[in-house]
Amino acid sequence: MNRKTKKTVYKAVKETIFYLFVTGLIGAMLLPVYFIISLSFLSTREAYRYPLPLVPALQTKFEMTHGERGYLLSVYDRVEKDYQTVLDTSELEKMEVYIKSQLGTSISQEEIQAEMDRLDDSGEDSIFFTKPRNLLYNYDTFFKVTRDAVPALIRSLEIAALTILISITIGGLAGYAFARYIFKGKDALKFSVLFVRMFPGVAIALPMVIILAKANLYDEPLGLSLIYSVGAIGLTIWITASIFMGIPESLEQAAQVFGATKFQAFMRITFPLALPGLAASAMYTFLGAWNETVGAIILTQFKPTFSVVVYQTLLGASGQVNLAAAGGIAMALPAVFFTFFIRRYINQMWGGVTV
Amino acid sequence: MATLEILNVTKRFGRKVIAVDDISLEVHDQEFLVLLGPSGCGKTTTMRMVAGLEEVTEGTILIDGVDVTDLPPRKRNISMVFQNYAIWPHMTVFENIAYALRLKHMAKSEIDRIVREVAGMTNIGEYLERLPAQLSGGQQQRVAVARAIAVSPKVFLMDEPLSNLDAKLRVSMRTELKAIHASAKATTVFVTHDQSEAMSIADRIVIMRDGKIIQTGTPEEVYEKSANLFVADFIGTPPTNFFDVTLQKSNGTLHLVNPHFDLSLDAANTARLNGYNKEQLVLGVRPENIVLTSEKDSIMGMTALVVEPQGSHQVIAFKMDEKMVKVVAPSQPKPDMGSTIHLNFSQGTLRFFDPETTFAIGD
Ligand SMILES: Nc1ncnc2c1ncn2[C@@H]1O[C@H](COP(=O)(O)OP(=O)(O)OP(=O)(O)O)[C@@H](O)[C@H]1O
Ligand SMILES: [Mg+2]
Repeated sequence: MNRKTKKTVYKAVKETIFYLFVTGLIGAMLLPVYFIISLSFLSTREAYRYPLPLVPALQTKFEMTHGERGYLLSVYDRVEKDYQTVLDTSELEKMEVYIKSQLGTSISQEEIQAEMDRLDDSGEDSIFFTKPRNLLYNYDTFFKVTRDAVPALIRSLEIAALTILISITIGGLAGYAFARYIFKGKDALKFSVLFVRMFPGVAIALPMVIILAKANLYDEPLGLSLIYSVGAIGLTIWITASIFMGIPESLEQAAQVFGATKFQAFMRITFPLALPGLAASAMYTFLGAWNETVGAIILTQFKPTFSVVVYQTLLGASGQVNLAAAGGIAMALPAVFFTFFIRRYINQMWGGVTV
Repeated sequence: MATLEILNVTKRFGRKVIAVDDISLEVHDQEFLVLLGPSGCGKTTTMRMVAGLEEVTEGTILIDGVDVTDLPPRKRNISMVFQNYAIWPHMTVFENIAYALRLKHMAKSEIDRIVREVAGMTNIGEYLERLPAQLSGGQQQRVAVARAIAVSPKVFLMDEPLSNLDAKLRVSMRTELKAIHASAKATTVFVTHDQSEAMSIADRIVIMRDGKIIQTGTPEEVYEKSANLFVADFIGTPPTNFFDVTLQKSNGTLHLVNPHFDLSLDAANTARLNGYNKEQLVLGVRPENIVLTSEKDSIMGMTALVVEPQGSHQVIAFKMDEKMVKVVAPSQPKPDMGSTIHLNFSQGTLRFFDPETTFAIGD
């Protein structure tokens, strides 16, 4: 090999390793997500098969024969690649419930009756039929069995919104002050707001119960969002301070020279330019408030947050991993939506508008 | 239009930094006044106090006779071109210019008319819908100027508006600014640390140093009648040549003597130094006032170290006591490098400075 080919080979090997590494990294991040999404659509029966089917089935294949106690129902098993007997009964309701809950498949008693009649009329040993899966069965069940799922979801959104409002208002103004003014103890103060975040949430939550109870805010969304704001404000100050520092003060002063009040100059000039940064810190705040569970368990009683009810359902639903997966996805979806929504504003930062 | 008066204004930052030290000056109606001085001398601070962006520690600022010292910027009826332009990156050029007009609650059609008019004056008419990021430095600078003239201010402030441009654009923008000033007729304060820029556009120049005003005058005045060594050195390229000389009197005429030359002064110059009693003196001679002559008429012969032809003229440099002395001479005759040149001073333009106080004498 001459030196040139050696070099080419070396480069190719290096690139291959690099891409393998990147692919591995992405895979490691995305696989669990895919796994849990796929699991949330599996039927209870399939969720416990091994190896676990990677893709949820879109329909269920049945075989029906005459059994000892009535009709014998078998289901096609994707792992064994064969029909397996699951039920022997003549009760329509029992069959319907089983098909719906264990197999996650849509069917009505009339349809079952029709198939039974077909078997009797045909005179053959067995008949086959196919029914569509009810892919959303787990989600449906999750919201049915979870106590107060919808009110809790609304409450959680309310708490996240309040937390964003409080922390952006206070943290944003403080960040502005840190960026624009020189005052005594600035650095110490700036560090101390981060200090709050170093304590574990639980440690703070316990004394907070007492404080919130005294303020009549225990078990209230506002109380919880105040607690979340404590940590969020620190982060918001740091993010917004650096954003405001990146916006030249002269832009604001120009507005003042040309007839704006200080407030107008801020609202018309600095605020829109800071929006990407504010959006980013709003996103962090949202995710923090949305996902927080431990503090919420301690600080709520009759008005739990969504994360709390999901947690409780998961505890209660031990033995139903697919239901747990559906709960997890239901929990993640609003966060995903919010992130995508806010991404538009964060992207502005890289999209043409440079400061 | 309007006048601007700055009366005994001082600005201190904290206790120690005195950025502007008790300055007073008056800018006449429609005048183009240039604040000139080296970096850190307090030009920007002065301008920002006029704009109301910086609090005045002591003193008074009057616009059209009205005390504006404690008014916020928006109530002062001024406009400003910032050193970094400070045009708003999220607004189109049109919006940048129109914003101030909207704040004045002008009618839409009126705003439209004014924006197009000033955009025409500054040659940016075709970029009105663009964002600043899509403009070149020179175009952004024009936007800043257009925005500033759109509001028809009483006083127009410009803080080194040309310093971010390349050399060629700077010279052409200079001319344009002057033309815009001529048509807009705004009372203008223009800050720069570039003396040639100041000389070429100013009606009057105010020279500052260490927070103080050193001299105020027309470009000709500060050039020909520089008030002290600093101004004489700061104004003009190449700068004034300085010679340390001793005063000697013989046969009723004054001689300025130096190891290299013995200059006998004419009657007019002798009269100028009448009241001067010290022995030592600094003689200042502008490069174009050192003349090449025949050996007979010269007071010294020196070795030409560098000869730089400039087309219309040439710059000749020679060394005297470790100091470079520069001569600006007509392009012909051209001495060879290393040859001996014979020189004299033109007596009508000599400048005398007291070496102790650095002030000019005999004006
Ligand atoms: N905010 C401030 N705090 C403390 N000192 C300041 C402040 N602003 C300016 N100074 C000081 O005041 C002095 C004058 O500054 P100024 O900006 O007016 O100078 P300048 O003449 O505009 O200089 P340049 O040509 O470099 O722009 C400088 O010594 C500067 O360090
Ligand atoms: Mg300056």
